[in-house]
Amino acid sequence: MSKRSLGVISAVIALLLAACAPQVVQQPTQLTPGTGKSFRLTRSAEVDISTGRSTTLRANTRWELVGTVPQGEVFRTRDQVVTLRGDGVHEGYIVVSQGTLVGFYMPVERAFCPATPSQPLSIER
Amino acid sequence: MQIRTVALVVVAASLLLSACATSGPKFSEMSATMAAAKPDVGRIYFYRTALIGAAVQPEVRLNGEKVGKAVPNGFFYVDRPAGNYQVVTETEVEKKLTFTLDAGQVRYVRLDISMGFWVGHVYGELIDEDKAQSEIASTRYIGAATTP
Repeated sequence: MSKRSLGVISAVIALLLAACAPQVVQQPTQLTPGTGKSFRLTRSAEVDISTGRSTTLRANTRWELVGTVPQGEVFRTRDQVVTLRGDGVHEGYIVVSQGTLVGFYMPVERAFCPATPSQPLSIER
Repeated sequence: MQIRTVALVVVAASLLLSACATSGPKFSEMSATMAAAKPDVGRIYFYRTALIGAAVQPEVRLNGEKVGKAVPNGFFYVDRPAGNYQVVTETEVEKKLTFTLDAGQVRYVRLDISMGFWVGHVYGELIDEDKAQSEIASTRYIGAATTP
């Protein structure tokens, strides 16, 4: 096979992959509203989900409790936009269990998306 | 190439560029005089900076309602009650963005384009206010604001 043919095939595969991004995992879950807790993220964190796309949480952002789901406590920030990207783009709140980010809560879909892998956070209460 | 062919190419290019041109006031000129959203609603700005794929200008639907088009170098806005929102743009595939809107909150949705199989895919990205303010400044108003 010539180099040119390989180049064309690679370009077609790249186009197909770009056109077919995987969907963000959505596990239905129930949020029980809550308030009164907050923390500051002292170090930035880059969190992967199963689509292969990562979400960056910036250092020095303040996170407020909005409720709990079976997977952990759900926190939201007004200091940055947090989205999960796959075939679509979804706003997400972080889900924290014992100081570790275990995934994201999608408020519109009312669903949980696990982080792969879970990630310990550097936080200051 | 013959002079006539060159002239035809130039005319065709001019027509294409004029079709893509956006003629309204710039955001930076308009923002000072733009009425603020009422306190019980939030505002969503939609804008597109990229000129790549300028001929691809799908409709933008918000919770099923057509609110504008993804015009390169253009922006528009809508005021809506607090709640959950889904932005859909469709070319050869449907692309979705979901987010929440609070009363008094301002959201910025940038309409980007990525490669598709036959046609580029236009999709919405939720952008931080600081970044959006700098990106939207040079875009031009392309549509009337609507209220709930």
